[in-house]
Amino acid sequence: MLTLAIDTATEVLGLALLNQQQLVIEHNLHLPRQHSEKLLPLIESMFELTEFEVADLSGIGVTVGPGSFTGLRIGITTVKLLARIFKIPVKGVSSLELLAAAVEGEYLLPLFDARRKRVYTALYQRQLGKVAERQQAISASNNLIFNSRKAIIKPAGIEITKLPEILADYRQFKLTLLGEPKIAVKEVLTAAGFRVEFANLENDFPRAAVLARLAAQYLAMDQSDDIYQLKPAYLKQPQAEINWQQKYGKKTDLAGGN
Amino acid sequence: MQFTQKIKNETEDILILALESSCDETAASVNLNGTEVLSNVVSSQVKLHQKFGGVVPEIASRKHLELILPVIDQALVEAGVEFSDLDAVAATYGPGLVGGLLVGLTAAKTIALALKIPLIGVNHIAGHIYANFIANPDIEKPLICLTVSGGHTDLLYFASRRGYKILGSTQDDAAGEAFDKISRFMGLGYPGGPAIEKAAQSGDPSAVDFPRADLGDSFNFSFSGLKTAVMNYINNQQQKGNLVNKADLAASFQAAVIDSLSSNLMAAVKKYNAKSIVLSGGVAANQQLRKSISKQTTELGLKLYYPPLDLCTDNAAMIGAVAYYQYLEKDFAELSLSADPALKL
Repeated sequence: MLTLAIDTATEVLGLALLNQQQLVIEHNLHLPRQHSEKLLPLIESMFELTEFEVADLSGIGVTVGPGSFTGLRIGITTVKLLARIFKIPVKGVSSLELLAAAVEGEYLLPLFDARRKRVYTALYQRQLGKVAERQQAISASNNLIFNSRKAIIKPAGIEITKLPEILADYRQFKLTLLGEPKIAVKEVLTAAGFRVEFANLENDFPRAAVLARLAAQYLAMDQSDDIYQLKPAYLKQPQAEINWQQKYGKKTDLAGGN
Repeated sequence: MQFTQKIKNETEDILILALESSCDETAASVNLNGTEVLSNVVSSQVKLHQKFGGVVPEIASRKHLELILPVIDQALVEAGVEFSDLDAVAATYGPGLVGGLLVGLTAAKTIALALKIPLIGVNHIAGHIYANFIANPDIEKPLICLTVSGGHTDLLYFASRRGYKILGSTQDDAAGEAFDKISRFMGLGYPGGPAIEKAAQSGDPSAVDFPRADLGDSFNFSFSGLKTAVMNYINNQQQKGNLVNKADLAASFQAAVIDSLSSNLMAAVKKYNAKSIVLSGGVAANQQLRKSISKQTTELGLKLYYPPLDLCTDNAAMIGAVAYYQYLEKDFAELSLSADPALKL
């Protein structure tokens, strides 16, 4: 089982190759606006550096956002073609879940800045299994904590001031914040009486190796995506469509809107 | 990049998959030896953009991502070939809308990496020129091509199909751009080419004698002086309280543009002893331009070619035709190739 992970959702270009449980190679490169130039050469160099061929791949994981639409389309296009040519399964993973997957805490609130005092977020609850399972999932080779979690509030774009209302059912639990803008979100939540902590900074960024493990686990459970349907989780209609609807007020069949 | 097979030469059959996604058509084709089109699949998004009065880049990009795989599949099926049969993969890398270009180009780069075959980056404008070679395979060389649109104005010399030399280009505005600006200034609307042509129909082209740029021995073009002259003329007439005859003005402006284009073209034809002339780009649809050049070429006993209508719109077959000649020249791209929205010839 050789799994390739591709994360082009943010300014960090993430690439990893996972052979069974062994992390073979990983890049997490802060390269703003260079994903188009760097992605394919980096994939090629990963295979040159290791003993594998692209044709050896048995599965691929890719982030589907939230994130930069252009970046996401570069990653997803690459994955569609690799999957089509080598007839291998693909799993699209939320960028929010990827953030949440690497940190401790039972209730995890990963954040992406959606600008204009809004965030893209979701609430994940860790699913506590048997102790043995957990220990098995903690990889000794790279200290990645791996365990399953469930989105109890699904990814969406939300105004920061509305968060206390949306999270009202979870007021009695400690929430672990990660991503940005966590200071602004913490202020709003603590003022509303929530208990909030920040994730350990060392784990508070998307890591391609974590994506590879997540994808490998999903694919092992046969939870793959149809490559013909795979697309970014846009969470927002195109601005031209929003403007048009404001002007003409009619619902219309959407160009790829979500 | 390491390729699995050796690079072929022109005595062998060369099969190329080409992709085009620079604007609002998602397209894929399979070409055998350049101009033999085995499949040419175009999925148009025109209807999606109509209600907005123009192409919305974000909507176009979303649609390209959705369509790229089905369009490639269909091109392979219709051509009766598999990925493993391909000798190279090509894609438009500019000019165009960056979000759309990146989808087709990234797909092509991934195919090149996966199959270990050469990647060929193609200029969209060159594609429109080579569309003529698909429609007219026995076009005689040497030839001179005038390619004119809202974004470029170039005069090219082809000794053979394998490559061209740029004889001249515009030093300022593209001819189509001049049509758009003057049309807007005269309140005739967008796009300016058809609007001016229509207004000029009932006008006298010799009513106002606008200047033609003289750039000496070069084959370059310039339209900004003409543009200023037209605007000054309108302002002067208005200040004097004279009514401007829009039909005469449009006809006089159009005549000046056509004169500039055709005089350079015909001078190049004579200098290079061209046997054929090719017109390409949006402005090549101007009937007065065609008439003027057609008259002069008939007198000289030369052949004039326009792009056929079905290859006028964006398609991938024309990209595959250019790619074949780039393949023969081993003009291959690195996997680091990115989209260039403002690419020139």
